[in-house]
Amino acid sequence: MNLQKVISGFFFIFAMTINFGFFYGDISNPALHSVYELFAALIISLISTVLKIGDKTQLGSVLLATSLVADIQLIAAVTVWTITEYLSVVDTESFAVIISLSGGALLANITSVILYIGETLKSKR
Amino acid sequence: MADNVVWLVLQKLRIPLLVLITSYSIAILGMVLIPGVDDQGNVYHLSFFDAFYFVSYMASTIGFGEGPYDFTYGQKLWVSFCIYLTVVGWFYGIGALISVLTDARLKHELMHSRFKKSVKQIQGDFFIILGYNYVNSEIIKKLHDAQIELVLIDKNEEKINHFLLESMSKDVPVMVGDALLTDTLLDAGIKMPNCKGVVSLFHDEEKNLRISVLVRFLNPTLRVIAKSTINDITMSIMDTDISEILNPFEIFAKRLEFGLVSPHLLLLENWIYGNSDLASHTHFLPKNGKYIVCGYGRFGKALLPVFQRHNIAYVFIDEKRLATQTMIENETFIRANPDDKDVLCSVGIKEADAIISGTKNDITNISIMITAKKLNPNIYTIARENQIDEVSIFEEAQMDWVFIIEKIMVNKTALFLSKPFKHHFLTLILKENEILAKSLAKLLRTTINNNPKLKYLAITNEQSYAIYHELLAGGTVNLEMLRRNLSNWKEINKVVPLLLNREGEDLLLPKDMPLRIGDEILFACDDYAKEEIAFIASNIYDLHYVMTGEEKQIGILKKLFGSKK
Repeated sequence: MNLQKVISGFFFIFAMTINFGFFYGDISNPALHSVYELFAALIISLISTVLKIGDKTQLGSVLLATSLVADIQLIAAVTVWTITEYLSVVDTESFAVIISLSGGALLANITSVILYIGETLKSKR
Repeated sequence: MADNVVWLVLQKLRIPLLVLITSYSIAILGMVLIPGVDDQGNVYHLSFFDAFYFVSYMASTIGFGEGPYDFTYGQKLWVSFCIYLTVVGWFYGIGALISVLTDARLKHELMHSRFKKSVKQIQGDFFIILGYNYVNSEIIKKLHDAQIELVLIDKNEEKINHFLLESMSKDVPVMVGDALLTDTLLDAGIKMPNCKGVVSLFHDEEKNLRISVLVRFLNPTLRVIAKSTINDITMSIMDTDISEILNPFEIFAKRLEFGLVSPHLLLLENWIYGNSDLASHTHFLPKNGKYIVCGYGRFGKALLPVFQRHNIAYVFIDEKRLATQTMIENETFIRANPDDKDVLCSVGIKEADAIISGTKNDITNISIMITAKKLNPNIYTIARENQIDEVSIFEEAQMDWVFIIEKIMVNKTALFLSKPFKHHFLTLILKENEILAKSLAKLLRTTINNNPKLKYLAITNEQSYAIYHELLAGGTVNLEMLRRNLSNWKEINKVVPLLLNREGEDLLLPKDMPLRIGDEILFACDDYAKEEIAFIASNIYDLHYVMTGEEKQIGILKKLFGSKK
């Protein structure tokens, strides 16, 4: 057992699950989506990105790419939320944008986890 | 790859990035969770944006103050904890970044990627120079003046830094790297089609052999110029079929032989190398008396066949090396310290014709010369100078002939690389005899001047546009036409055609003949004629004038008026 593998695997999967937690629920109902969860999703996603840096293999590069996609989508969601909250009104339309952006990030996270699992199964040890 | 640099930085910054993200998120989350009191006395929570904004300027120590409302003591407690957390995180991050940027490996990677990029951008033909030392620096200077592109590799970073201070370093891609590794050679562009050769003049001749073998497999179309003075290595390098061997001792032995039988060849050689002009004094080396040679290493052994061929009495003196039994019995070899009065007397310095001091040690060489001059003021002195730094001492000592190993290597390599046709002419002329050399030197002196210039011309579209198209159109251009004067076509410029190469066949001192496409010609001429040859070859109006003595009609006028006739 490799501690580093445990930590990175933990963060990869955590990024996906917490992202799902935020995304799950009626897309137009702000009461079902906690801002704390979005914050946690962004932080965990950033951490898992940093953990993916440094692997120069083909798979490592794709993992990093998916993680960057998730980061960008989550940062976009946070930015949209902040701008609408302070500069206009959070209506159904803008809230739907926030949730769908995080949904995109969720897809990227799922891809990343699938790749990660695939690599784990492939390794003989 | 440029990629490598980015990876290297990112990899080193992993931990600092993690520290920053974690400390920020802890600080922000705390700020959001801890309740505050607004100006009305109501309990409120900072939003994530408020918290992010506050933490951002707190962590970077900008500190705009508390907001949106003054903090409660609970909040202040948390902030004072966060200040230490985030500010320390930042310092750690910045420190790590700076240490990465000053990392030697990163510097090397940056240099490497710059090097590879600039090698790829080289347009013209180029050569790879291995190692930066005095000889190579002189070669680089000469080739740079001839506008030939170069690439330099040296294992030693200090030497590379030294080179970077030189003015020509801007145009020459340099890298710290081991030339004996395939990767380094590949990065230097050895497989590029416009790479024409490798210069490998390492003092350690095993290295030159290794380079020759490596290049043989990497790109067999290249030429390698390899220094080799040891017989076995020379043979092995020759077996690679791609190498030009540079043996300064052999070159000197040949010059000594010319000095004995054909001093005018020596004169011509020095003129082609640009060492001296044709008016220099020429004389035969003394041939009747004995030659004393101090040192029987690679140098002495190279001289031995010359003495034997010309039946010259000789004696070698060396303290460390041993010669064959017969040489010792014939007293043509004495094992003693040559820098010793008694030894020199015992080999008959007082009656000897010449003394050659050819040891590895420059100071010993000078010392022998001084002793010899004292014992026999009329003796002809020839000294070997290993390092060019000592040149002033050798000048002071007033030798008859100083033979500088490094200079021979510089001249030979630079000429071979920058002016291959000139070098070709030199090798041809050196096979000739004294009579031809003497008459050629006289011809050049009388028809041109004491220091004629050399002009190379190839009948190709690029180099001689006018002649090329005239020949394509079926016209005839004679060699003699290139000698004509552009202000009066009946006059002849100061030009002597030295060599004409047609389809690999050499014609030394060609007479007047019709030119053909692909001919390569070498002229000796003065500056004025050099310019005119270039004009005649490339300008259709000038060519027309020297061919017919008439001005050529300009195209449109000819069409307008010529057709009416």
